[in-house]
Amino acid sequence: MRQTDLQPPGVRQPGPRRAELTPRDWLHRNSTPFLLGAGMLLVAGVTWLIGESLVERIVTVMFIDVILVLALQVFMGNSGILSFSVAGFMGIGAYGSVLFSMTPAAKAAALPDLYAFLAPVHLPFVVSLLLGGLIAALVAAVVSYPLMRLSDAAGVITIFSLLIIINVVLVHWSVVTNGPRTLFGVDRYTYLGTTVGFAVAFLGVAWWFKESRVGLRLRASRDDAHAASSIGINIVAMRYAAFVLSAFMAGFAGALWAHFITSFSPYAFYLSAMFVFLAMLVIGGPNGVSGAVVGTVLVTVLREGLRSIENNVNMAHLLPGGLFGFTEIVLAALLIVILILRPGGIMGGTEIRWPPAGGKPGSTGGPGGTGESPRV
Amino acid sequence: MITLEFIINALSLGSTYALLALGMVIVYGILKLVNFAYGELIMIGGYSLFVLSLGPRLPWFVMAVLAVGVAVLTSWLTERVAFRPVRDKSLTAMLITSFAVSTLLQNAALLIISPRARAVPLPSLFSESVVLLGQSVPWRNILAIVTSVVLLLLLVVLLRRTVLGIALRAAADNFRMTRMLGIPANLVISLAFAISGLLAGVVALFWVGRTASVTPTIGAAPLLVAFVATVIGGMRSLEGAVLGGYVYGIVFSLIGVLLPQALLEFREAFMFIIVILIILFRPEGLIRGGAPSRRAG
Amino acid sequence: MLTVQNMSVRYGAIAAIRDVSLSVKQGELVALIGVNGAGKTTTLSTIAGALRPFQGSITLDGEPIQGRQPEYITRRGIALVPEGREIFGSLSVAENLTLGGFVRRNRGERERDIQEMVELFPILGERMRQAGGTLSGGEQQQLAIARALMSHPKLLMLDEPSLGLSPVLVDQIFELIGRLHGRGVTILLVEQNVERTLDLVDRAYLLHTGTVEVEGTPAHIREFVDVESVYLGERGRKA
Repeated sequence: MRQTDLQPPGVRQPGPRRAELTPRDWLHRNSTPFLLGAGMLLVAGVTWLIGESLVERIVTVMFIDVILVLALQVFMGNSGILSFSVAGFMGIGAYGSVLFSMTPAAKAAALPDLYAFLAPVHLPFVVSLLLGGLIAALVAAVVSYPLMRLSDAAGVITIFSLLIIINVVLVHWSVVTNGPRTLFGVDRYTYLGTTVGFAVAFLGVAWWFKESRVGLRLRASRDDAHAASSIGINIVAMRYAAFVLSAFMAGFAGALWAHFITSFSPYAFYLSAMFVFLAMLVIGGPNGVSGAVVGTVLVTVLREGLRSIENNVNMAHLLPGGLFGFTEIVLAALLIVILILRPGGIMGGTEIRWPPAGGKPGSTGGPGGTGESPRV
Repeated sequence: MITLEFIINALSLGSTYALLALGMVIVYGILKLVNFAYGELIMIGGYSLFVLSLGPRLPWFVMAVLAVGVAVLTSWLTERVAFRPVRDKSLTAMLITSFAVSTLLQNAALLIISPRARAVPLPSLFSESVVLLGQSVPWRNILAIVTSVVLLLLLVVLLRRTVLGIALRAAADNFRMTRMLGIPANLVISLAFAISGLLAGVVALFWVGRTASVTPTIGAAPLLVAFVATVIGGMRSLEGAVLGGYVYGIVFSLIGVLLPQALLEFREAFMFIIVILIILFRPEGLIRGGAPSRRAG
Repeated sequence: MLTVQNMSVRYGAIAAIRDVSLSVKQGELVALIGVNGAGKTTTLSTIAGALRPFQGSITLDGEPIQGRQPEYITRRGIALVPEGREIFGSLSVAENLTLGGFVRRNRGERERDIQEMVELFPILGERMRQAGGTLSGGEQQQLAIARALMSHPKLLMLDEPSLGLSPVLVDQIFELIGRLHGRGVTILLVEQNVERTLDLVDRAYLLHTGTVEVEGTPAHIREFVDVESVYLGERGRKA
């Protein structure tokens, strides 16, 4: 851990400055995003070569999920506070972006009562993606600052409440969202290349944040709030930054997803989705970026495998009532087992690096969830 | 507009909400755990009634008692199997576990029974009304109020007159010190979960009594109610939870008749905005009791 | 009765206490003295089971109890009155006492024990139905001690009982400790008020930065150490 980052700003510190790191050292220290990025590009390449549309769909969505789980990791992994609102911001990004990317004709058909100033607007896909992310970030920026003061249970409850509120608003603001019904008419703009590209980009962003001054200070505060504030770390501001960044990423991913699935309803951005993202992060390991990626890939593979079992059982009519919910049950059980046996997740907080062993240990987080002191 | 029927309606809603909130706080007070699987106990109670109705004909009251028993057992089991092993790890681990247990129970119901709603047997009394002061009042509402009051009184006796009950209150006050006095942590926590299950089970009877059916997702709404009522009441004290439940039920009913139609849909959103505001500005709840949660800034 | 041998306790990577050995015989009044951060509270907490030593042993009447759950250790006869008293503010005085006697299990005995406490601490008798949180600091301290005595412990451990009390109350507390000692209660006392403690106890251990510097009778300790400077935090030694 770099000592220099814990000094209050403005103090000149001795020791090697960042500019003095050799390119080789820098590469070793930051090898993780390159390794993971290369891995993801490889998966995308193989998928494209295989050419099967079902596999391509699964992998495309998987990369969108990577962004969402990274969004969760950016806040939860660094601050230690459980965030239930990622799915909500995904929804804001989804609806926010399609309002600008849908053709006026499509809007007239799907959202007849839409506000007059929005109806004729028609912007390019990439712009609408950005807008999706920005609107989500804006909402987060406006409402979340006071919540960042709270710790533990109170923080979780308020962030959870955000998810509920966002859902209620999405369900009832019919002129903009078509209410609880499905919103149709979105153009398909998201393809495999798009998602893997943005996934790699956001991987870099999440890594940069984690290794930045803000990320380090946030993790210091997670491990010991009193000590951190006593050396001048403004915990609230740090958390706020992480939360807004997390919202932007989630909104962006929501926008990507909206233009993949082309029709959706508000309940896609609620508790079931949130559960999956949480499972992906916790199973992979919340204390590192590698955990987010690894968890997403593993859970995606697991879910698809279980789902195909479900389908085969149902098609063969092996069970009288049909096999439903099997996937979720296994996932939930796995999550509980991981929490009991290996709370740090599969990666346990270490990052995938080159050179592998012999280097410094990964993040400042050790094994285990939020590193709280023993109960008694 | 404020008729006897409305008053009884509001009170019966408040009574149900009070039991819900109490069931949540009794666990939260000791463990600081918001049990996301709490709503599923209502679902389990409802499904137990359904399953029991498939078997030999039993008097409804017997089925009701059995259904509550299943809820108690489920609550106790979830603690034993899922929460106890992670209890010493961290609060976040417990919260995620409760979320996972909730998902697991919901999908188990989906799998074992059906994703579609199932009819629940109800006593004929639930669809009958009595005429009081010239107005027609559903028996169901009166029963809800009476049952809640009786249950609350029983709990008061338990918590104030028995050593275990006093130990439970002590654990909510200072869990660490309770253990230091030699009172077994596991016993206290199991008892808390059992009581939580009892309260949820009783609420289930009246909750499914409104629609005469049960679905796998029926637990979501009561969970949110328990949430809001608990926060209004202050999250730390049992009395606060009960009062919070009544306040929520009454305010909710009032809003239902006072608010213009357009805004009514956002009723739930309003309640959660109030939740956030209370936590920010008056974390000890609207009713005094217990210490506020720690803050970072 | 109580033997601690070579005990070390860590907070993360930092050793809070290292290689601490002490013993308390039946009927003795033994003190742990030292400045803030010397490791006194850590020692008591570990004996009581709130912390786990990573090295060393704790034996009570021949039975090893290190690493055991606090509930078990209390049932075995060690009662801790923690720093800050930690009475149940929302419970009444009577309820606090009742819980103190939980490990005794027998209802009839419990009521007799409460009577005994009232004789020892008359002020509590007047406040039986009051909530613990409404008591004054001195009364809370008495309640905390009474609550611990309810379990008829073999060993009573007191962590800074005079902390935060006015001089008059400090007198009362020390006088009470002396009286309990006179009745045969075995006591392990942690105090920063060194002078008064040394006047009272049979033996003492002086802790500094996690280890036992000096141990023995009060006279012995006074010989080796400049007591005032210990109290103020300097490591002064007489020639």
